[in-house]
Amino acid sequence: MMEPVRIDPQRALDEAMRAQQKLAASFQTLRQVEDVHYGATAKDEIYREDKVVVYHYRREGNPTAKAPILICYALVNRPYMVDLQDNRSLVKNLLALGEDVYIIDWGYPDRADRWLTLDDYINGYIRRSVAAVARDAGVEKINLLGICEGGAFSLCFTALHQDRLQNLITMVTPVDFHTKENMLSHWTRDLDVDLFVDTLGNVPADLMNWCYLTLKPVRLNQQKYVAMLDILDDKTELENFLRMEKWIFDSPDQAGEAFRQFIKDFYQGNKLIEGGLEIGGQAIDLKAITIPVLNIFAEQDHLVPPSASRPLGDHIGTKDYTQLAFKGGHIGIYVSGRAQREVPPAIHEWLAKRTR
Amino acid sequence: MAQGTETSGAPDDWQARSAQYWNAWMDATRKAFGVTAADSATARTPWHEGLEQWARLFDAGAAKDSQSEVVERLLAGARSYFALLQSLAQKGANGQADPKAWTDAVRNAFNFPGADAALLDNPLARAMRELAGQGAKGFEQMMAGMEPAMKEARSLLDLPAFGYAREHQERYQKTAKAWLDYQHETNRYNALIARASRRAFEVFEDKLAEHAEPGRQIDSVRGLYNLWVDAAEEAYAEVALSPEFREVYGALVNAQMRVRQGAQQEVERMSNDLGIPTRTEIDTLGQRLHALRREARTQTDEVIPRLVAEVAALRRELEALKSGAAAAATKNVASRKTAPRRKAPAKAAKSKSEQQS
Repeated sequence: MMEPVRIDPQRALDEAMRAQQKLAASFQTLRQVEDVHYGATAKDEIYREDKVVVYHYRREGNPTAKAPILICYALVNRPYMVDLQDNRSLVKNLLALGEDVYIIDWGYPDRADRWLTLDDYINGYIRRSVAAVARDAGVEKINLLGICEGGAFSLCFTALHQDRLQNLITMVTPVDFHTKENMLSHWTRDLDVDLFVDTLGNVPADLMNWCYLTLKPVRLNQQKYVAMLDILDDKTELENFLRMEKWIFDSPDQAGEAFRQFIKDFYQGNKLIEGGLEIGGQAIDLKAITIPVLNIFAEQDHLVPPSASRPLGDHIGTKDYTQLAFKGGHIGIYVSGRAQREVPPAIHEWLAKRTR
Repeated sequence: MAQGTETSGAPDDWQARSAQYWNAWMDATRKAFGVTAADSATARTPWHEGLEQWARLFDAGAAKDSQSEVVERLLAGARSYFALLQSLAQKGANGQADPKAWTDAVRNAFNFPGADAALLDNPLARAMRELAGQGAKGFEQMMAGMEPAMKEARSLLDLPAFGYAREHQERYQKTAKAWLDYQHETNRYNALIARASRRAFEVFEDKLAEHAEPGRQIDSVRGLYNLWVDAAEEAYAEVALSPEFREVYGALVNAQMRVRQGAQQEVERMSNDLGIPTRTEIDTLGQRLHALRREARTQTDEVIPRLVAEVAALRRELEALKSGAAAAATKNVASRKTAPRRKAPAKAAKSKSEQQS
């Protein structure tokens, strides 16, 4: 047996000096970095209702795709993750491939939105957003791309209104909420969600962020910032880092009633696959989904473990189901270099074969 | 290839490098930040003090507001890393070799001067405390503010309530009980985090042992730090996914909500007394407004389109009836014009009936 650690003193000194030099440099670079902006692609508002806005991303020339894609993001965090910056943009890459892309921006719910239910979101906002996109694009049916919680909403919407859609794409979407790796779900099971929502009204963003960070407290709150030492002298990298930080902590509060139902029925009851889920008094039966479905999940996802997404194929009625496992995490699936190379072409090619 | 009996550099070498580093740090700090040697010459822990110096420069207003949070978090992360560097330097100087000695070096890294004594040997609790957002801090501040009142109320907990102030006393008792319950659940939660921290050192030692094989040795401080993070997360996940943690986590959150609710109700009561609109009243208004909007939306989206369709169908039906009637009338006229004349049958029939009556 050998000693497990063999750090040469000179190398340790070099490492320490390098880190120190980076810290010293940061005094300059942190003052030089611009205010970070997000959103690489220009977009136009096509529909607005309450705080919800549907945007149409601008493109050069006409799309070659026959039907537009509407991106339905989660209520937690902001949707600009899909168009974070010029070289990290799912939207930009989809546009380059000829797609026509729209997105729902949920805005920042406040106390006036405390009573919004899942029915309001799914049968209300999403249904009218889908209609607005179809009208704007001059088509009868569109493609829906749901992300994370937005994916679960999209599944419910499709089960109820699939006559408005050609195809459904789900990304990092939880379907089975009771798999053993699902830490978030594990923690919600003994939560008195009625007491929680009755007390808080809307669920504060800080509380949500705290919960997410405690999923991996050392990695997300310490190691990440140690790694930041390496880029302290690089203005561009530092701006990229700050942009990501901005996104992570730019979180909307959660509308109380919708949160109550989501935790009760999805996290605690696992009703999406076990049955008994109702949205606006209408039963949700995933077997009713018969349009083509593409399910993309991330293999290293700590928020929505792959085991939570993978079972979708077993629960929906369609005969045209495709599954794509991405080597990366919940965020990497949008912003990593691999994601830029792999995800948009996969979506585009899958849609091209199915859209009429 | 080095043999297992070798240490990672001679003790003297580590000490010399450590002193060399500290001198270099001092020089660089002076050059970069313009501080005097006297400012930091009293430092007992070079890396830690140097970081504090660095952070103070940002506190002086050099960083933009949007970056101050990042600076704070960077400081927290870097502090642990540099503390590890320092601890390893001391460990190297001591010339110990086995995984346990390295684990102790890592353990010592988290106990640097200035660290909260309550968090000694509990790096996970430290990480949790560092990440607390404003929401959590706000609640902690509220708890601290409630402390004197709760101490007062605690003494009343077991007394029976009676008389004019009976309702008030029962309410205070309920809030005080909720507060005590929250303290109890917090202790249970902290005990689990401490368990995860202890387990993290065990996992780390196991992981270190795996690196004792040829070709797998860790050769950088960062590598060692990353291994520690892997161990800490693995240990934490073990605890966090256990049924016990689930129960404690739920109980803690529920207890916190009961405390918040008690405080809210007191504020509501006082607001009522002062004639200030309360949250409950505003929530009720919001709920009613929301119900009205849903009803209006149902009218717009479902009832009105259905009625419009129904009216349209009726109109079509009416048009059809009208055009049918018009066509029939036209046909009648046309047939009257073309048909051969007969004797008036109606008149004849009428005459017949008149005869019968």
